[in-house]
Amino acid sequence: MTNSEIDNGSTRDDLVQRVALMETMIAEGRSTTTRFGWVFVMWGLVYFAAVGWVLFLPLAIWAWPVCVSAAIATSIIVGARRKRMHGGSENVRSRSIEAVWRMMGSAICLYVVGAILSHHAGDPAYVAAILFFIGLAHGTSALILRWGVQGVVAAIWWTGGIATFFFTSERESYGIFLGASFFGMILFGLYAMMLERRRAAGPLQSQVQRHA
Amino acid sequence: MTNSEPDNGKSRDELLQRIELMETMIAAGRRSTTRCGWIFVLWGVVDIAGIAWEWSRPSYWIWPTVLTAGFLLFFLIRALKRESSSRCANIEGRTVNAIWSMMGLATTLYVAAGIYRHLAWQYSYIAAIFMLVGLAHAISAMVLRWRVQGMVAGLWWAGGIAMFFAHSDKEIFVIFPLEMFFGMILFGLYAMWLDNRSGLKGERA
Repeated sequence: MTNSEIDNGSTRDDLVQRVALMETMIAEGRSTTTRFGWVFVMWGLVYFAAVGWVLFLPLAIWAWPVCVSAAIATSIIVGARRKRMHGGSENVRSRSIEAVWRMMGSAICLYVVGAILSHHAGDPAYVAAILFFIGLAHGTSALILRWGVQGVVAAIWWTGGIATFFFTSERESYGIFLGASFFGMILFGLYAMMLERRRAAGPLQSQVQRHA
Repeated sequence: MTNSEPDNGKSRDELLQRIELMETMIAAGRRSTTRCGWIFVLWGVVDIAGIAWEWSRPSYWIWPTVLTAGFLLFFLIRALKRESSSRCANIEGRTVNAIWSMMGLATTLYVAAGIYRHLAWQYSYIAAIFMLVGLAHAISAMVLRWRVQGMVAGLWWAGGIAMFFAHSDKEIFVIFPLEMFFGMILFGLYAMWLDNRSGLKGERA
């Protein structure tokens, strides 16, 4: 087939352009995620802080409300500042990723509040559900962005979710949750931040090379 | 500002073209959901059959049997309809497909683990299933800017919270079928009706 030959209504150049556009959108979608690497790291640390407070400090009942409220406030303030600096979602993929994380946050908030108010917060199914919600957001994002690393992160959360059905004591649940938070939040967040730094340094390096 | 005047590097025409492209993509994404309306109806009917069976003669094997039958029917109908390739023809369609595939996988793993460990009786377990389905609807609604689906998500989440406050099996036997009827069967029928209508329009055009 030649470049200009028409096949099923589109030329080869057309198809190449379409593929290039999709690849650009996927790359932009990934860079939206990497730009928010700090959010993953922050939430991972917040989980550690809250569990640490519950286990070792007084007034344990306030640990989760205080830590989560502080994290939400920080996310909103820093997120709004960054949005003002960098602009909003640029393309369809970025908006989809934003939708995934926003809705995941809303679902978890509703679920946790419902469970706490009805005194079901200690059930193994409750802890497993939270791990599954986070895994679902990672899994969906990974499939949209064709991102293997994030797919692995989703698998870590889901494995943790399944494990909480089998190891049901409070200590074991906390251990699983912290393990998933470390690998699926903090490490992934740091990896995303590293990618973002590399991406930001890219144009600068090429400029330096050009001058040299 | 004239049509060709550049604003922030983009002319008005270019912006209009982009908006048009996005609207086309959103419409195509919605079509990929309406084309799958039968899946919602199928799972709604399967789940109502399961809960009716559970109500009349409780047994551990009801849900594994019913869900396996549901999957078999799903794959059979999908194979007969031969729609897997056309379903993800555009970016929004692929996004919607990603959302539902992952929801399906997550729910299957969650349900299987709960049943295997005999923890499926917990209220928080059933609430989580409702929240997971609601989450998929909510993400899809936000991506496709589709208010009706947003309301369906709200319905699932309301059902999930209601489940936490249920105090007996009787209440579960009321909330569960209602949720399946309004959130699955009715929405599926509505989607199928939309798909039918757009199909007829296409034929006429």
